[in-house]
Amino acid sequence: MINLKEYSSNGAFDEFISDQSKFRTQASKIGNLLNSLTSSELKDIHQATQSAIKSMGISFRVYDKNNSFEDRSWPLDFIPRIIRNSEWDTVSKGLQQRCKAINLFIEDCYNDQEFLKSGLMDPNLILKSPSFKKECIGMKLPYSVWSHISGTDLIRDKDGNFYVLEDNLRVPSGVSYMIENRLVMKKVFPELFNHYGVLPVDEYTSKLYSTLASLQSSKSKPEIVILTPGVFNSAYFEHSHLAQQLGIDLVQGSDLLVSEDGYVYKKTINGLKKIDVIYRRINDDYLDPLVWNKNSTLGVQGIINAWKNKKVVIVNAPGCGIADDKAVYSYVPQMIKFYLNESPILKNIDTFLCSDKNSRDYVINHMQDLVVKPVNESGGYGIVIGRDTTNKERLEVGKKINQNPRNYVAQPLVSLSTAPTYCSGELDARHMDLRPFVLSGAKNYVSVGGLTRVALKKGATVVNSSQGGGSKDTWVIDR
Amino acid sequence: MLSRDAEHFYWLSRYVERAENTARILNVNVELMLDFPGDKSSMWKPLIEITGMEKVFIEKYQEFDEINSVKFLSDDKENPNSILSSLIMAQYNARPIRNNLPRSSAEQLNLILKDFINDMASTKSRSRRTNYIYEVISKSQLFFGIISDNFLRGTEYQFIKLGRFIERADMISRIIDQQCLRDTSTLGENFPTLQWASILRSMSAYESYRMFSQGDISQKEVLNFLIKNKDYGRSISSCLYNVENSINNLPRNTPIKSEIKNLHNRIQKARLEKYSDMKIHDFIDLLQRKLLLIDELIDKSYFHNN
Repeated sequence: MINLKEYSSNGAFDEFISDQSKFRTQASKIGNLLNSLTSSELKDIHQATQSAIKSMGISFRVYDKNNSFEDRSWPLDFIPRIIRNSEWDTVSKGLQQRCKAINLFIEDCYNDQEFLKSGLMDPNLILKSPSFKKECIGMKLPYSVWSHISGTDLIRDKDGNFYVLEDNLRVPSGVSYMIENRLVMKKVFPELFNHYGVLPVDEYTSKLYSTLASLQSSKSKPEIVILTPGVFNSAYFEHSHLAQQLGIDLVQGSDLLVSEDGYVYKKTINGLKKIDVIYRRINDDYLDPLVWNKNSTLGVQGIINAWKNKKVVIVNAPGCGIADDKAVYSYVPQMIKFYLNESPILKNIDTFLCSDKNSRDYVINHMQDLVVKPVNESGGYGIVIGRDTTNKERLEVGKKINQNPRNYVAQPLVSLSTAPTYCSGELDARHMDLRPFVLSGAKNYVSVGGLTRVALKKGATVVNSSQGGGSKDTWVIDR
Repeated sequence: MLSRDAEHFYWLSRYVERAENTARILNVNVELMLDFPGDKSSMWKPLIEITGMEKVFIEKYQEFDEINSVKFLSDDKENPNSILSSLIMAQYNARPIRNNLPRSSAEQLNLILKDFINDMASTKSRSRRTNYIYEVISKSQLFFGIISDNFLRGTEYQFIKLGRFIERADMISRIIDQQCLRDTSTLGENFPTLQWASILRSMSAYESYRMFSQGDISQKEVLNFLIKNKDYGRSISSCLYNVENSINNLPRNTPIKSEIKNLHNRIQKARLEKYSDMKIHDFIDLLQRKLLLIDELIDKSYFHNN
């Protein structure tokens, strides 16, 4: 049971319990149910969840410093996160608006560069970025979409509103866990579903298929594959899971070749078979040893050329990472205005670019109130939470910023909302974020909810599973 | 189907079957030895030779005694054909195709390897270790049982069958070869009967053989049974029928089909009962070369056809 009097979210917005120590409307049914359960009953549900995950084989891979890895069972908290459909509708529109503007921006960067010329942004932020790929200059893509699959990280701040934390436009992962989380929840907590009209999440895979298929026009049954770096990749579970759900082949670079006719083929037991669409889960630099990383054994020789000649579709498009950068992030509201002439539906978090002298000085002098982030990292790596550092550590970070200011941004410490979470036998408040997945192609689609990640350590705000985070099933409810 | 996936299915299955067969020959030898006091080195050497690994063995262990031989064939990672190495390779091949296997079979495979490592590390007791090795047999059979009960009879299944029966035919031919070449003069006149009886037991063939043949257990009869009998699942002939059956369900199969047909004819025509030991050796040698050729044709037609 939850002790409403003692339950504390430490000043953060709690999604279940209001400041008056009462359940919020949408959480009251599940809250009352949780309150009626004894601690041994809660423990039973927790254990049933763990064993369902184990028997379903849902796992993720963690590497340590010595590059050895272990597969761990996927951590899922059995208490769902609940979002009302009316609110989700707005968020969903905001995400589509954002992705549309970002995609127009990427195509603009590689073509007329109108945004860069408009003076709204220092053009060097783009032109000197390692993510800017000159091979993409002049490319125009169907529907002007470059990032067909994105996973935008949202947080709910103290005021109860959703904010965009970052846009993951390259090869965002986690959607398989969103789908599997729901399957687990249906197994272990079926009675909960009776109280809510929970909207299903599993249409994502069929929408993904039609998005991928919509990017080529020649065939009604195109040949689509997922390109994985292989079994040692930390997201291999997802690559394999999606391939299976879509009923398509999961290929590695060595399974593909570019033939003399310029098309891409996969090697099958029947001989070579032409590929129309490649959903790649390999970063740009490893895609083609002829173009970028020469030592890459993960990619396919000549694949970039095939793509430029429109002989194959690559998803997400090479070079789309140019907009996936924590400095470029801060310009998205202007992009929305510039390309769509709309005002942004979803808000950004204030961002200080260390490349700017005044901002840099501010960041270095106020680091204890800020979060410093390297612009080009993902997975929570390299993030410095000022409040948790010593003077000496802050001096170190300051030095690094001065050495390479373009590489850092800083944001105020936002507060991630909380919800009751089962932790060592008790229900206690834990911080969480939300990663919805947005598909862009002939049509646009936003996942119903997304993957809620929760920091399992009390007070912690780093939610990445590689760093001890867990997850919750995300319920969008229609009543 | 992707060539690489097909290759993983094929080798996953070969390695599980190899682990099982290695466990079988190890156990039968341990049993057989109990009947023969005295110098045992002549009993272990052929076993190592079956696996084709005598060079590696001699470099590392020198003496062909029981402790060294059992270690080498069971959990020695430096022997690429040990039970442990085979199970590790099976796992390696299963990992990329894990989601295409029935979940319980992938779990079973994990379990065989995990249990084997833990069990072998947990004890030095000779009888316990023999038991653990024995368990590999039943656990592997469970693995294939799950596959054959739960797996769609699609292309993937055909590659699993191919790998399993080619490996099995190959191993049986090796076992027969070594037994025929063994110098039995110092082991007494009872040895041949005991030897063939234990070989039948190692292949769980003793009961079936007894239904098929009365009286003495003679080399001639056993050879005919193990090589030519189509109704016994571990005979070379029966393995070959299984391979043929799978190949018939795969594309681009003409060269492999004619090679299998050719081998069938050779086997049925062979008058094993009239052959000297040397001639049997030559015949087995031919069998193995043909099996290798079929393996190469499978590789060329399906795994590396571009």
